[in-house]
Amino acid sequence: MTPQLISLIGAVVVVVTLALTRRVWAPAIVHAIPSVWRIAKITVAEARRRRVLQAVVVLVVLILFSMTFFSYLSPGEQSRMLINGGLSAITVFGILLAIFLAAFLIPQELETRTVYAILAKPVKRFEFVLGKYVGALIILAIIVAVMTAVLVLVLVLQDAMVKDLPDSTFNPNLEGVLFAALMNYFAIAVLTGLIMLISTVSSTTMTVISSFIIWAVGSLQSTIHDLAEHADTAATKLLLQVLYVVVPKLENFDFRNEVSNYLHVSYMSGWDALLQGLGYTIVVLILASIFFNDRQV
Amino acid sequence: MRHGKALLGLLMVGILLQTVAPQESIHKARPALFDPNRKTKPVSAISIGPTPAMIAALGGFRTVAADLLWLQAERVWDGGSWWALLPLLDAVTQLDPHFILAWQVYGWHAAYNMHAESETVIDRRYWLARGANILEQAVEANPDNWEIRFELGWTLYDRAHEKKRAAEYFYQADQMPGAKSYVTRLYYRCYEGILDIKDLMPALEYAKKRHTDLAKSDDVQHQVIVNRDYEWWMKHKDDPLEHRRQIVIENTARAQRSVPFYLYPDDPYWDVCPICGLPSKKGSEVCEVCGAPLKAPSQRGPATRGEKKT
Amino acid sequence: MNDEIVLQVEGLTKIYRSLFTPVGVKAVDNLNLSVRRGETYSIVGPNGSGKTTTLKIILGLIFPTAGSTTIFGSSIADLSVRDRIGFLPEDAYLYDVFNGEELLDFYAGLFGYPRSRRRQLVDELLTLVGMQANRKVPFRECSKGMRQRLALAQALVNDPELLILDEPTSGLDPAGRHQMTRLILELKKRGKTILLCSHFLAEVEEVCDRVGIMYRGGVVAEGSLSELAGEPTEIVITTSGVGEAQAAVIAAQPGVLSVSDGVVRMTKESGDQLWPVLETIHQAGGRVVEVSRPRPSLQDVFVRAIRQDTVEEA
Repeated sequence: MTPQLISLIGAVVVVVTLALTRRVWAPAIVHAIPSVWRIAKITVAEARRRRVLQAVVVLVVLILFSMTFFSYLSPGEQSRMLINGGLSAITVFGILLAIFLAAFLIPQELETRTVYAILAKPVKRFEFVLGKYVGALIILAIIVAVMTAVLVLVLVLQDAMVKDLPDSTFNPNLEGVLFAALMNYFAIAVLTGLIMLISTVSSTTMTVISSFIIWAVGSLQSTIHDLAEHADTAATKLLLQVLYVVVPKLENFDFRNEVSNYLHVSYMSGWDALLQGLGYTIVVLILASIFFNDRQV
Repeated sequence: MRHGKALLGLLMVGILLQTVAPQESIHKARPALFDPNRKTKPVSAISIGPTPAMIAALGGFRTVAADLLWLQAERVWDGGSWWALLPLLDAVTQLDPHFILAWQVYGWHAAYNMHAESETVIDRRYWLARGANILEQAVEANPDNWEIRFELGWTLYDRAHEKKRAAEYFYQADQMPGAKSYVTRLYYRCYEGILDIKDLMPALEYAKKRHTDLAKSDDVQHQVIVNRDYEWWMKHKDDPLEHRRQIVIENTARAQRSVPFYLYPDDPYWDVCPICGLPSKKGSEVCEVCGAPLKAPSQRGPATRGEKKT
Repeated sequence: MNDEIVLQVEGLTKIYRSLFTPVGVKAVDNLNLSVRRGETYSIVGPNGSGKTTTLKIILGLIFPTAGSTTIFGSSIADLSVRDRIGFLPEDAYLYDVFNGEELLDFYAGLFGYPRSRRRQLVDELLTLVGMQANRKVPFRECSKGMRQRLALAQALVNDPELLILDEPTSGLDPAGRHQMTRLILELKKRGKTILLCSHFLAEVEEVCDRVGIMYRGGVVAEGSLSELAGEPTEIVITTSGVGEAQAAVIAAQPGVLSVSDGVVRMTKESGDQLWPVLETIHQAGGRVVEVSRPRPSLQDVFVRAIRQDTVEEA
């Protein structure tokens, strides 16, 4: 059975299910959009008022500027280091922020009981979950955009400083950097969805710990894929394949290597990664909604 | 709605099935990451040792780990520990197989520095072979990169004097986008060096057809040089005396630059005198220039005249 | 108040089970109650009697083990029901980084009101709860009283027909409690149906039409205050200036039960003997301060009901 055939079957299943249930989901979506948007807006506004996020962004900006002090390296190596280090800093801090944001969003509302006032209003539980997720996405988009803008600025400034040097091979590769940063953001978005799913069923501490483990496992996607291909027994192979399905595919979104080594970047792969991540996130959010719906608050 | 959760479950399964094709596309489009048979894999974090690089190597930050180790390699280089460089550069290239400069330095360090440091022929041959092997791995990991093929070709040409193999790599490098004009010229110089007239002339014809954009100064220079060489060889390709003269010119030029003379292991025409360093016809018992007795090729040691470390 | 039943609870049971308590803890046990339109119904009971659990089940925040709840004839899962109710949670906590104006605007937005309507609503509600002057004060800088008032305002943002208030005066000082009680009475006057949960019996006596006394998950007594309190049991005359000798004379009068510390108690049936006793007090040189026929307080009823339930159980 080819992958295309499997995907086609999946598409048929989705279309048929949606067709059968259109009387349920169509009005639900119409009702959900304004509620989700309102909850997302209040989530963003609340995060903006809390200084912690702003402090972390300032820290990252300082780190990115400090990376320009590798001037003893050749320009060719310098651009590679800046791109690599800058994109990796954005990844690390983006994911750390995503973990600490998403792990606290719903549990904190339950703990402080601010959720009671909302759920007593005509807001469905899945709208609440989605609203929190969209709010987190907006916050993370702003943060990643700011960090990327700073990295681009650093690269442009360095390029201006060294371009008159003889045989300068500094190449800021801005198009690649922007693409890699965008893909990075999508990876963070996928991870955030999964963290929110875990937060609907466990405490804040367990959610944070699990998130770090999932991040590490998700970054070892290719290793799991290899192990699954070369597994000794059928049972091990099946287990690893199931793990491969369940784990978020963060390496799909990792283009740092290609960008920092000035290799060809496949935009089509980026698009495929986005499709895969979108499907995974939708499933995760549906599960989160189901769990939160059944949760006694 | 009845059976709500069951329908939701079905929807989720359908969505997950839909993601199979895009994931498979990614596996195919990015073999460096996902091909199960890929040659270079991330080195075990344990082999690097408990350092920040090891921590970075775990999960997704291999290129940052490579950079950290590269910086460490720079520091080690400044300290003069050439032996310590080897595992570092090995780790860097394993962690980031696309870091061309690291491969170049690694291969060069083995084939040039460690080769020059060695005291016996056996050690020298080992380092040369190792350098070539490293660069072969680099070529395998970066099949689309002309620079690394050129690097391998140059090492074979300049150090190992395996000019026929070098010519193959120069030719491959020349086919790739971005290759400079000197690659094309080095391709035929390989045949020139071993006086392989049969391959030299087609190589010159090929070089003439390359880099023909007269708006670029590099191309203009290339055409000037190639046409000069082509015309010269058309005049002298059948002239044996000129071959000798050409070799003499080449080696004299080398002596002027204080670059050591080398034995051509597969040279069918000449033996080089260990005293004056000038060639005599193969099989001669005494040097045709200074009269010194010539040893048999198998008894010759490394060339000593004008030898300097790089 | 009319006869339309706004809230109906039938056979409601909630058992909390966990890995460590497989048998379960019964928080609500076969509870039945109904609230009519326009009335103020209060659930009173000691801590742990299941009041808050009942409210949470009514609001769909937790799910019952058995039984049903209907509001306006429908389930709470129906969103149109939530358009018509307002909820003030116990120790209400709202987003503390926002001020009252922003909070009310957010909650009003959840009902889909346009901006102009929201602005108007925010002004009206802040005026109603007395927070106009402090509309820009962030929630975390508000006093407990201010927070409760803002929380009440958010419960009123959709002008609900049914208001559910969980311990609205909890943690407030006497002035705050007085203010909150006045607000509740104002809402009652406006025709709201109110379900109130409290253990401050004094305020319940002041605002409620009917009371349900909950104990150990069930309603042990229910009815209007007069129904629960019953008829007055005696006549009480408060006097001053009556000495011991005069007290003995007064005590000897027919119908007098006791005279102590200037308080004369007569049986409820001896209304005919009232004037002679008053005359005797006057002749003895005393002064009548007050004559009354007190009913048992809600506290007395409460304690009696719980004691009775305990005895019945034994």
